[in-house]
Amino acid sequence: MSFLFNIISILVFTLACLFSAGCTSEDSQPPGPQIEDITGTRQPIIYRLKWLYNASVAGDIWALHSGIFRNHGLRVQLQEGGPEQDAIKDLELGRAHFGVASADQVIRAAAKGARVIVLAQIFQVNPLQWIYSGSSRVIRTPDDLKGLCIGITYGGNDETIMMALLKKHGISLDQIRLYAVHYDFNPFWKGKVDLWPVYRNTQGIVLQEKMDRGGHEAMFFDPNTHGISFVANSIITSRKIYLNNPELVKKFTRAAIEGWTDAMDPLNADQVALAVHRFAPDTPVDMISRQLDATRSLVAPEHRKKIGSVDRQAWQQTKDILVSQGLIQRPPDLETILKTPPYDMACGTGK
Amino acid sequence: MNILEGLFQFVCIYSCALLLLWTIKFIYGLSDYLIPSPGELVRIVHSDWVIYTRAVLNTLAVAIAGHILAVSMAAVIGLLGRTDSRIGHLTRTAAYNLQAYPIVAVAPIIFIFLGNGLASRLLISAMICYFPLLLSFLGIFSQPVEEVEHFFRVSGRINWKLEIAVRTFENLDKLKTVIVGSGTLAMVGTIVAEFLAATNGIGYMIRKALYQNNLARILFSLFLIGLCSSVYLSLIETLGNWTRRKLTGNGHEAGHEPELQ
Amino acid sequence: MRVSCRHICHKYPGAEAPVLDHLDWSLDGPGFFSFFGLSGAGKTTLARIISGEIIPDSGAVTSHNLRILYMHNSERLPGWCNVGRHLKSVTPLHRSELLAGLLQAYGIEPVMERRFSGLSMGQKNRINLVRYLVQDFDLIIADEALANVDEPTREHILGHIKSLFPHKTFLYISHNALEVARFSQTVFILPQVAQGGIRHICRISGLNEQKGKKIPEESIQKCVFNILKAAGSGEKVQ
Repeated sequence: MSFLFNIISILVFTLACLFSAGCTSEDSQPPGPQIEDITGTRQPIIYRLKWLYNASVAGDIWALHSGIFRNHGLRVQLQEGGPEQDAIKDLELGRAHFGVASADQVIRAAAKGARVIVLAQIFQVNPLQWIYSGSSRVIRTPDDLKGLCIGITYGGNDETIMMALLKKHGISLDQIRLYAVHYDFNPFWKGKVDLWPVYRNTQGIVLQEKMDRGGHEAMFFDPNTHGISFVANSIITSRKIYLNNPELVKKFTRAAIEGWTDAMDPLNADQVALAVHRFAPDTPVDMISRQLDATRSLVAPEHRKKIGSVDRQAWQQTKDILVSQGLIQRPPDLETILKTPPYDMACGTGK
Repeated sequence: MNILEGLFQFVCIYSCALLLLWTIKFIYGLSDYLIPSPGELVRIVHSDWVIYTRAVLNTLAVAIAGHILAVSMAAVIGLLGRTDSRIGHLTRTAAYNLQAYPIVAVAPIIFIFLGNGLASRLLISAMICYFPLLLSFLGIFSQPVEEVEHFFRVSGRINWKLEIAVRTFENLDKLKTVIVGSGTLAMVGTIVAEFLAATNGIGYMIRKALYQNNLARILFSLFLIGLCSSVYLSLIETLGNWTRRKLTGNGHEAGHEPELQ
Repeated sequence: MRVSCRHICHKYPGAEAPVLDHLDWSLDGPGFFSFFGLSGAGKTTLARIISGEIIPDSGAVTSHNLRILYMHNSERLPGWCNVGRHLKSVTPLHRSELLAGLLQAYGIEPVMERRFSGLSMGQKNRINLVRYLVQDFDLIIADEALANVDEPTREHILGHIKSLFPHKTFLYISHNALEVARFSQTVFILPQVAQGGIRHICRISGLNEQKGKKIPEESIQKCVFNILKAAGSGEKVQ
């Protein structure tokens, strides 16, 4: 009983501390930079990226490096993302003011009551695709997947996308073989797995070159071209910042889109590659250049709309996929999440 | 500490932690995405308990096997490393060096050679929990128990097996403590292995839940892990006490008071 | 049987002065002999040097391949079996009868089924002595081996050993002047040295009491007095 008493005492003490902390604060803000601070000059704007520094965040790096953020009167601090980082959580906890998240993250979070707003969609085409050896086969239609061994990350986006594709094209699971993917590429090199999920513009380029050197022609299977529009990275903020600081949000969104627009301009390719290299010194500049070429076709595809534009149809399909696979319980209203970026500026692949 | 008491204590601590989490959620008005609501947790428990229970039992089975492997590895390396010979020094150096590398750095090599099945999980689990065992085994095996060994030495009966038997017996309590303690590490090691590359077990379920940002599943997994760890540790402790009683014959001695002089 | 030490020097690491300083000493057996001295005089050090457990810094011990067993009173039996099983396992077959006789003579039989840890200190001392007595030996050095045994039992045991092993040599280390005076053939006294180590050991003839032969009280008192005086001053008293 003394053990139980101790536990209860500790709990009561902790709760008392928490309540007193909650009562003394003027607003129930989680710890971290306060909303009033970010318009001042002292506190930088925290921008939490989705992933590590690489070509997939070239526009954000370029906006910082080339002074676009500064020219818009913003002092921005980029924070690297990663597997354990989640921009939405950082926004909610007040540790970041803007961030990058994938559409499924946004929809899942909104379905659970997170107050998040999408300001711009960076990738018009999802970079998550499957690499395979074109020397042994060419996959023209999803039917060609039958009988093949396909790598997927269970629980990951690639599982969701592949399941949606198979369902859409009436392919049952017993017509293919699935292989649980980890960071070890050996099963793919050894031919144990026919298709391996990669980010087309980053890992995809590295693997493509390796395959080329091994005398194999690398090809990519892109679910986008077979009717699966699963939205990838978008720029987000919290509803609170969106409502209380509309000017800041507008400035930031403009600056970020301008950064992406400039970064995707082939005329700036060399300088952008150098800028990314400064943030990711482990990757050679020429590799970054090739990754940037691939990124361009995903961020600013020729037949699509302007850079940063939100593809509502694709968002709707992404939501439908998540609902159909039972990944969300209460589908959120996309209209409360998706906000059109300000277009009173030059956008597109060129200036 | 019996099993029920261990379980009760764990449930108390877990409930307190959960209550604390929900208090924070309430005070700061955090969404269910950040901290799941009680309702969501109940829904997850209701819908997923079979699959998660199966996963955690799978992990526990591997952890127990890994733990046994670790105890065997530590005993063998301890035997080799206890001497002052060149082989002893080499064994100790190799054992210490191996421990200096974080397992996440060594894991990819293990997965390349052993694949992402049971063998890798077992080995990683054993590698994570064997070091404290090894230190104890080395210490125990190399430290003479002079009061007991003296007679055997002067009467010419000593050999390495007898030395090990004496030293092990004289340090049963220490051994029991370190084996019980390393049981937690075996569980942790198995979960780490599953998290890194397996396709089974609770670590794998946690990884999937993390991909889906589903904290309710992670909280449920943590509850099951704690539950299993508590049961397992209590079991080893009970087994240790039973073994000790059997070996020392304490039960047999009950009621016999030594004569006073 | 002869054991001799020549120019033995020994100093423990970290100690300021040596314990033994060019010590010469010899023992001619068989018989019952004693080391006597105040605490810290160097009895155990010398005993362990004689038995080969400690290698002296310099000097040599000559024992001509004698089988010397050194025993002390803090020894324990392994705890995984009872006293009877242990004693049986360490007794050579041809000494089984001797073992049985000793167990009976020293009152150990009733505890044969018990574990060593559950016994009294006196019982532990007796059992430890018995397992040494059933080994092959020429000389047993018993370092306070019966320290926890009551006096009447101790007297009985010492008398019994002397009568049972008349052709063996015993070197008995004790703080009990009366006991060493009565039972020893010769008492070797390690004197208290103010500075430096022990250079010489005094010899005093003991009363060498045999079973059934009573020694006059006066002789005992005189011998005890001589022993105590020698231990304090380092001089031989006639």
